[in-house]
Amino acid sequence: MKLKKLSETIIKTFKSNGFVLTEPDVLLDSEYIIERSGEKFRSTILTYESEDGKTMCLRPDLTVASCLKFLQKKISSKIYYSGQAYRRSSKKKSNFINDQLGIEIFGSKNQIQDDFKVIKTILGCAKKIKSKKIKIKVGDISLFKSLINTLDMPERWKLRLIRHFWRPTYFEELLKRLEKNADIDSVTFDIDKKKFYEMKKIDQNKVIAGRTVSEILKRFDRKIKDPRSFSDGKKIVKIIRSFLKIKCKLSKLEDKLLDFEKKNNLKNNIFKNYESIQSLKKLKQEVNFITNFGRDVEYYTGIVFVVFSGNKEIARGGRYNSLLKSLGARKDIPAVGAAINLKNI
Amino acid sequence: MKDLITIGLPSKGRLKDKAISFFNNSGLKIIQSEKERNYFGTIENKPNTKIIFLHAKEIIQRIGDGTLDAGVSGLDLFNESEKNLRKKIIIKRKLDFGSANLVVAVPNDWIDVQTIADLEEVSFDLKSKRNSRLRVATKYPNLTNDFLISKGVTQYKIIPSLGSTETYPFIGSSEIITDISSTGKTLADNNLRALKDGLILNSTACLFYAKNNDKNFKVLF
Repeated sequence: MKLKKLSETIIKTFKSNGFVLTEPDVLLDSEYIIERSGEKFRSTILTYESEDGKTMCLRPDLTVASCLKFLQKKISSKIYYSGQAYRRSSKKKSNFINDQLGIEIFGSKNQIQDDFKVIKTILGCAKKIKSKKIKIKVGDISLFKSLINTLDMPERWKLRLIRHFWRPTYFEELLKRLEKNADIDSVTFDIDKKKFYEMKKIDQNKVIAGRTVSEILKRFDRKIKDPRSFSDGKKIVKIIRSFLKIKCKLSKLEDKLLDFEKKNNLKNNIFKNYESIQSLKKLKQEVNFITNFGRDVEYYTGIVFVVFSGNKEIARGGRYNSLLKSLGARKDIPAVGAAINLKNI
Repeated sequence: MKDLITIGLPSKGRLKDKAISFFNNSGLKIIQSEKERNYFGTIENKPNTKIIFLHAKEIIQRIGDGTLDAGVSGLDLFNESEKNLRKKIIIKRKLDFGSANLVVAVPNDWIDVQTIADLEEVSFDLKSKRNSRLRVATKYPNLTNDFLISKGVTQYKIIPSLGSTETYPFIGSSEIITDISSTGKTLADNNLRALKDGLILNSTACLFYAKNNDKNFKVLF
């Protein structure tokens, strides 16, 4: 099938499932992107300085561009887009321009239903445009969060592991550190403790390099009262590593998770909320579940999925409930979406 | 002259003195102009060589663009330079002077911040409580970016600095800094301290050659 024909088929499927066309802006204020994705992202976007001194960039991603348009109240909440995204990559021979066709549901009222709707629509497209066997792999970032929140370790370590789950290399470094190192430097601890008492006597609102004395002391206090032991660290890392090895057919998922809880002496039913994944049984389609999955995109917060045709990835997506807030919404707005990779079709 | 070898040496400070000593001790006596502010020199009995005294940063740039054939500068400045420039330069030899560390430094009074992991946490606090990013003042934005990202710090903003970076956290221009430190005295005198795992680069002076250059460097070393 020619590319144009393919696009038409996909768009027809989007439309018939109730998605409405949106045309996200091509030029975005790069500060939006940098604020959300961090300084390093600057090197991947294509920018220029506008006359009013703003650094503008070509949209690096259509999900983010659609979110920004949604926040400007210019579009409806169940949309599809078809267009190009522009991004630099360090990979050789990679294109600046990526053709993307995707759908998003912003402000999900029924998250399970909307997750299902997005996956079903994408699957419908995949079946129409591909003849090879279609397979789906799913993961759920929220299951990892549930696990971490039940483990007995300092609160700041929980937050740290959740924050960096999407960066597997650094996450691995964190696990190694959790296994071995202590958080408090015993050599400097006594000096700092002395300083702690001295600083308690001064004006607590005094600002030292952008932080108040009270903020600094509170965090110091929390740190010394919240230590962790070597043996606990080792045990916790073992549990996390064994969780990240879970891989099974969707039909076996419940048993696998129960078995995992039992083997690791965890409380029963720590994994309660994975109805979105369970509901995929209705698809009557081969679905494989993997815990160590969907870790390359920062903004996913729940279900993550990839659709394969044979061995080729043809679409991916997931739930991202915090992205809109990080782009300027006053509060978290539940959202889910997916995009089809035209290059692999 | 086709065979002329042009060499850049630092134009001031300790690095200049040490670079001249290195040449002199290697049997290549540097002859400087009698005029105090003249930037040109020669090597005794080496008529095909020319010395130009330049800012250490400029030496890297000029080797990269082919104006210089060789030069002495710092590894920190070389590593900080753009990739395309680095591709055109080779580190011929690391020298035993000009050693200094590029480090991440925080205010002394931030007693809760001992490691990069602490810093990462504080940067998230700033982001979530005040919706602002941790500002890092530096003369080395590229090296600082690579280091912080590799250590999991993502919520920060680089504030480019041209000098006296140590003042930035105390005048409201940044929260922390990265800077070159040889003994730690300048940091300490300005109420700053390096994080214990905040070493970005162990730098030293180096002898650099231009890549793909057909000059006969054998006349030098």
